[in-house]
Amino acid sequence: MTTAASDLLPATRNALALLLLAMADDEFVIGFSDSEWTGIAPMLEEDVAMSSMAQDELGHAQALYRLLADVVEDGRDADAIAFDRPPEAYFHARLLDHPRGDWAQTITRRFLYDTADSARLEALSESSFEPLREIVAKIRREERYHVMHMTTWFERLARGSDSRPRLLDALDRIGPDAGTVLAPLPSALALEMAGIVPARFGGLAAAWRTSLQPTFQRLNLPPLPVTPAPDRARADHSDSFRWLHGEFTSVRGLDRSATW
Amino acid sequence: MAPHVEHGRYLPPRSDDDGVGEPWEVFRQEKEGDAMRHGGSVIAPDSELALHFARELYGRRQESIRLWVVRRADIQELDDPDLLQPPLDRSFKKPGGYLMREKLAAARARSGRDKPRARQSSPGSGRAAPPSPSEGPE
Repeated sequence: MTTAASDLLPATRNALALLLLAMADDEFVIGFSDSEWTGIAPMLEEDVAMSSMAQDELGHAQALYRLLADVVEDGRDADAIAFDRPPEAYFHARLLDHPRGDWAQTITRRFLYDTADSARLEALSESSFEPLREIVAKIRREERYHVMHMTTWFERLARGSDSRPRLLDALDRIGPDAGTVLAPLPSALALEMAGIVPARFGGLAAAWRTSLQPTFQRLNLPPLPVTPAPDRARADHSDSFRWLHGEFTSVRGLDRSATW
Repeated sequence: MAPHVEHGRYLPPRSDDDGVGEPWEVFRQEKEGDAMRHGGSVIAPDSELALHFARELYGRRQESIRLWVVRRADIQELDDPDLLQPPLDRSFKKPGGYLMREKLAAARARSGRDKPRARQSSPGSGRAAPPSPSEGPE
């Protein structure tokens, strides 16, 4: 077990930094993207629910960016890492490059993301790096509700006569990128050797697909396609993300030295 | 004659024709042993989403340890004044006729103790302090 980043070998530290960046950017980008629903969600109660889940994700991102700042120790704090990078330096999964789209696309993406993220978090609860394990334990308690709520919505939209075509369209558009969240990182081997991720981490994507099968079969939905270009799962960001980046950096861009 | 039990003015009729849902009433418990208290309501299409929304609106900030969610249509309402607000004088049923104030004051003077203050409500429980039992109306 390791309790401080300074005890890690430099190569392990770099590998850990990449894992933290991937997870933090995932949470940060989906949090900002889904917060676009605030005020315009289909029902008042759901507006509160979606906005608060988006906020949860930003909270998770903050905790992960803080840990990342401790690990890289390059003088940047969590805010600097979160906001002061050009769009191409973000390391989120391609699934999150899609715009929020209509309600069916937002729900479909969140369902796919939250189930994949849960698989990742569950595996990381066995990490040898104690600070990560502690953050993951807290995040997992909040993610339970996210998965529960998104499963409810996903099943509902798959069964509704008006909503089912929209859900199928959304699966067409974003389904191929669903597997990008759990696509192996370049640093996977180093992470596994240091015990920062358990040995089964490499098989998470397959396990996650298997776990979704009963739901997809019950709802008579087409299986998720194989992920194209998994080695570029976190590269080549979209115009839609560049727009979102412009939005979420606009206030900080007014005065980078301002104290909030 | 109007029925004694009806969904009257306080409980508007369910709106199930707009496709969004119907009202559900949410009761919450702040700590173990407390009574369940009415928190408010949510609009939801079914019991599952009603529970999710109740969690979101009445439980996500650690303000509750337990929620009950009840379909408003399943609540029986009684607001008939003949049954609840009988018009005749019932003051003889209340203890207000006993003149306790002077006796209590005299007893306190003998024992040298101050008049007890109203009990403090427990922090955050939202409970009003109950009146001191010795302070009945005269």
